[in-house]
Amino acid sequence: MKGSFDTPTLTLPGRSPRPGAAPQTAWQELSLDRVSVTFNAGQPNEYRALDGADLRVARGEFYCLLGPSGCGKSTVLNLVAGFIQPSRGRIQIGDQAIKEPGTDRVVVFQDVTNALFPWLRTDENVAFGLTLQGVQKAEALSRARDILGVVGLKEHAQKFPYELSGGMKQRCQIARALLVEPEVLLMDEPFAALDAISKRILQQELLRLWQQYHMTVIYITHDVSESILLAQRIGVMRRGPGSAVKQEFAVDLPYPRRPSDGAFSALYARVEMSLQEEVGVSLHEH
Amino acid sequence: MSIDLRNVANQLAIAVVSITLAVLAWAAFASYFAVPDLVPSPTATAAAAMTMIENGSLFWHVVVSLERVLVGYGAGCIVGVIIGALMGRIHLFGLFASPLLQLLRPISPVALVPLSIIWFGIGDMSRYFIIFYGVVIIMIMNTAAGVSSTPNIRLNAARCLGAKQQQLFRRVIIPSAVPYILTGMRVALGFAFMGIVAAEMIAAQSGIGYLIMQSRTLLRTDIMFVGLVTLGVLGAIIDSCFKIAIDRTMKRFMEYQVNA
Repeated sequence: MKGSFDTPTLTLPGRSPRPGAAPQTAWQELSLDRVSVTFNAGQPNEYRALDGADLRVARGEFYCLLGPSGCGKSTVLNLVAGFIQPSRGRIQIGDQAIKEPGTDRVVVFQDVTNALFPWLRTDENVAFGLTLQGVQKAEALSRARDILGVVGLKEHAQKFPYELSGGMKQRCQIARALLVEPEVLLMDEPFAALDAISKRILQQELLRLWQQYHMTVIYITHDVSESILLAQRIGVMRRGPGSAVKQEFAVDLPYPRRPSDGAFSALYARVEMSLQEEVGVSLHEH
Repeated sequence: MSIDLRNVANQLAIAVVSITLAVLAWAAFASYFAVPDLVPSPTATAAAAMTMIENGSLFWHVVVSLERVLVGYGAGCIVGVIIGALMGRIHLFGLFASPLLQLLRPISPVALVPLSIIWFGIGDMSRYFIIFYGVVIIMIMNTAAGVSSTPNIRLNAARCLGAKQQQLFRRVIIPSAVPYILTGMRVALGFAFMGIVAAEMIAAQSGIGYLIMQSRTLLRTDIMFVGLVTLGVLGAIIDSCFKIAIDRTMKRFMEYQVNA
């Protein structure tokens, strides 16, 4: 896979009101206040995923949620995406409550096979969001191909998802998200299933896109190194049930970051220890 | 591409060998063990077939039967997809329709022949109905299963790209059900061919099923064998065409199987 990309020539048009979009005015902060989520409430298999979780992400920030598997990271993401509603507490972008999914918050899933539409070609997959808004197909496809250039997939526009590698599928998914111009990009362990080299290239490209598009990114991972490589702030989550963000780390390192730097490894040790406390507890109890 | 072609050539070669062996075994059985009137030899069957091909009667029976299969099958597919989609889409409808389907499923098309005669008379309408019935049940079940098993991630992906309920159904749920619908159509095609004999038991004057039934009355097992072989060959050819036609579509959906 090539790591190169076209010089971006896209200019972002003015943001128009979009379906389901919460913020009408410029917002400054995405916030979760004392949010609890209980699945199957009142039934024998009742499970409290989140309990009194607080989270504040500034507009334009790159925020990493880090935690052991099953700790409720994805639940936070599903809440912000509007896929699920909290049992208690508030989730807001600025002063607007999040009630349903909208194109201002687009998710990039880890499971690319199901996330892409297998019956559509790459450019049609990417244009999907625009065509939903009633943009003419030709126009939507042409804009899709422009953005495929930005993520380095231009030559693969005519392929079907099954003809793409894992990394290319993930690029396709990112391009599809970018085309609807989300305010917040929600990423659920997007590169966890990729090989080490594709992963590193995509991490770098993600940082470039984040800076170029001035998006807010909430990125879920269980990889400490990845979180320090990418994020401005890292929130470590308690293990479930009843999870919440227990500790935050500011990453005051300039991009591009290198794991070999002293400051990087010093922070790595601290974050790793915070994460280990959670894994350790779960190891003792099981 | 060349690998594909070699695969097809291999499969063809295997099919030819397997059929040749079976015909040889049939010939041996017919000439050494069986009473000729009960088991006609391959040559006797071929001779009967040649006569029927020459006078055009075999072709005519085939066309008539195919027309009946096509009408019943086509109607069954269309109605089945519509009802199946509604079952998947309208939860309450699906809930109430499922037990009824479970009751209908074990009732074979043959069992409906008498009822069909009373309802539709002894004309082609009855025959269409018998084939339609066998097809529609399968299509409803497969479509409903497909519609209700759209991956959640795919639905969520579409929702955050701005899809509303109507768009989700038309642009995500129905296309996601396509592999189920195509699989159902292929299975149902087999059932349609099985149903044709039952359908043509109803006072038919033509068709492969009629040919088979009538040769029993005349004790012409050679003609009966011509009918049976024709049914088998026709079904296999159409199924192969169907398989080739849907393979490309299926490949897109069956990622893991293709890569495995």
